[in-house]
Amino acid sequence: MPDTQALVNDFLNKLKKRKIEGSQATAKQTAELLRSVISQTRMPYTNQAAALIHSVKAVGERLIAANPVELAVGNVVRRVLHIVREEDLSLTTAAMAGLNLSAESDDEDDTDRDNHPALSAAAIAAASRSTLRPPSLQTLLEDVPDSAAVPHTSSSGGDSEGKSKSADKSSRSRKLKHDVIEAVNELIQDISTCHELIAEQAVEHIHQNEVILTLGSSRTVLEFLCAAKEKKRSFRVFVAEGAPRYQGHLLAKELVTRGLQTTLITDSAVFAMISRVNMVIVGAHAVMANGGVIAPVGLNMVALAAQKHAVPFVVLAGSHKLCPLYPHHPEVLLNELRSPSELLDFGEFSDCLDFGSGIGAPLLHVVNPTFDYVPPKLVSLFITDTGGHNPSYMYRLIADYYSADDLVLERRTTSGN
Amino acid sequence: MNRVGLQYLAGDLSGGNARCIAMLQAFQEAIRDYSTPPEKTLTRDLTSKIGGFVSFLIECRPLSMSMGNAIRFLKSRIARLPLTLSESEAKTTLCSDIDRFINEKIVLADKVILRHAAAKIRDGDVLLTYGSSCVVEMILLYAHELGKQFRVVVVDSHPMLEGQKLLRRLVVKGLSCIYTQLNAISYVMHEVTRVFLGASSIFSNGTVYSMVGTASVAMVAHAFRVPVLVCCEAYKFHERVQLDSICFNELGDPDAISKVPGRVDVNFLDNLTDKQKENLELLNLKYDATPSDYISVIVTDYGMIPPTSVPVIVREYRKEYLLI
Repeated sequence: MPDTQALVNDFLNKLKKRKIEGSQATAKQTAELLRSVISQTRMPYTNQAAALIHSVKAVGERLIAANPVELAVGNVVRRVLHIVREEDLSLTTAAMAGLNLSAESDDEDDTDRDNHPALSAAAIAAASRSTLRPPSLQTLLEDVPDSAAVPHTSSSGGDSEGKSKSADKSSRSRKLKHDVIEAVNELIQDISTCHELIAEQAVEHIHQNEVILTLGSSRTVLEFLCAAKEKKRSFRVFVAEGAPRYQGHLLAKELVTRGLQTTLITDSAVFAMISRVNMVIVGAHAVMANGGVIAPVGLNMVALAAQKHAVPFVVLAGSHKLCPLYPHHPEVLLNELRSPSELLDFGEFSDCLDFGSGIGAPLLHVVNPTFDYVPPKLVSLFITDTGGHNPSYMYRLIADYYSADDLVLERRTTSGN
Repeated sequence: MNRVGLQYLAGDLSGGNARCIAMLQAFQEAIRDYSTPPEKTLTRDLTSKIGGFVSFLIECRPLSMSMGNAIRFLKSRIARLPLTLSESEAKTTLCSDIDRFINEKIVLADKVILRHAAAKIRDGDVLLTYGSSCVVEMILLYAHELGKQFRVVVVDSHPMLEGQKLLRRLVVKGLSCIYTQLNAISYVMHEVTRVFLGASSIFSNGTVYSMVGTASVAMVAHAFRVPVLVCCEAYKFHERVQLDSICFNELGDPDAISKVPGRVDVNFLDNLTDKQKENLELLNLKYDATPSDYISVIVTDYGMIPPTSVPVIVREYRKEYLLI
């Protein structure tokens, strides 16, 4: 435990100080950290899934609180929780099928018995009930530790069955941890290879003699365009510089190094040039459940211009960027303001910025947001590692990757505690 | 004349009105110093001389639309000079015509625009402006003098960064300002109540031709349902029509894009290899064309007109000032 704590604290520090750049790196490191947390978790005799979920949630809440704007952290935490639940479910169904407990399956349908789980014959049936029963008002209101009381009463009855079950349970607990860690490894693998899977689809969208517009710099876009170039598609790229970080300069340099015809334009010229553009391809910081995009600043302007000129606006995003939350007031709540020194030189404007003396209220405010929100109606297509999707479809992908129980990760304070 | 040309070249003199006034005053000087050579008529020779000066100015920097209109006015005045006038009388007539043009079409026109536009500013407004337009600056200072309480959002863009000069002048006079760059416009537009923009020219199909980026500002304002007011003197109207920004534009210095003043950490484009330079093109547009549907109203010295009335003004009133 101590070394995981040190790892967790180190990662928390990096998140708070914004030292990790990019959602892919953040997602990967979060997944690796959670893998260590899981492997270090001591598994109780029964209800291993609950223990795993509890330990992952405990770390996950702290990680999310460290950098609420970096949604990839929350996404990965929720993915891992979903993995735990799914692995537990599949193990339970396998065990149930193996032990042929048809009698207990009758109990599940009997809703009266749900109120008295102590009356069930075997702990495994109780555990399966907790994983397999659909959400009802009771399940929503009770906390997870409640079900830990179950095996205590049930193991008193049916001792002869109990011994064979316990052997199954310990092998089950090892298997659960093992399966979960394997699945988390797969997740890490997916996060690392998302660029290749997205880039494979480049040939379907880029034809000959096309003009593509992008803003700022995204590694996914770079790989996408290079993959198209590999397949001998001819196209030229307009890169808007993406003030105030000027990442567009970096992307332009990368593109010309790989032999692509690139034109670097200013952000102000986007509306002027977009009438000659065939497609806008951009990366995203996060994709929200309604299909809206949290993107680098300036992309809402580009999306509006693309809509006006009927140019397709394509967003490339790995599946670790898909967030199950709906954006409420995203310009303020999911945004970060950076230092004004990127816009104004403090030395030159020191006379205007000096409001210590005088009337009191400062005359000059400088606003430097990092992100923009692009509503789903402006996005033509999402290209993820699972293929191309409409913005209206993104909410379905959430069901694949996340569980409904994990959406709210903040600790609920109840009056009883 | 040389001095003015060099000022254009260096970029010291920018803005449609300032360039136009400087050019006309330079013409006045040239006319005063002019003497007709023997066996040549005043009108023809002077016109060709003016043509020579104009070519020199074009070499320094392509003419703005306002300057083009002023030159056409001057040439038509020269052509209309009665032949009976002596040389000195002709010269004084021309100089006073130029003075009247500057006074009526620019100075007085600006005063009328100030009064119209300041009436549209209410207490508690948040006004957004882009770049540095002299007319908009006058409007904001005038409204502030009238005692109206409002805040100004100054939006700026690289590479010209003209907004910083406007910002300094406004803060010095005590206006409360917010400064941001063009990409953040969707972030600030939630709070904005009115957008005031200047123009280099307005074409006959209602398209506003002004500093690059204005179209984006107008588009985002339109998307957020914020009224856009373009303030432009009528002498800048032009009968050409233009649908997009590519067919007619001015290119600035491409190296200005790769250099970011004052920020060493983002000079990514220094030290490019030849292979890289061969594939990379730097495009620095100076102007763009804003479609008329994004404009709510145009404030001119003829009143507040919708963009669709621009060809009417060009047709009906062009005759008037050519015949002053």
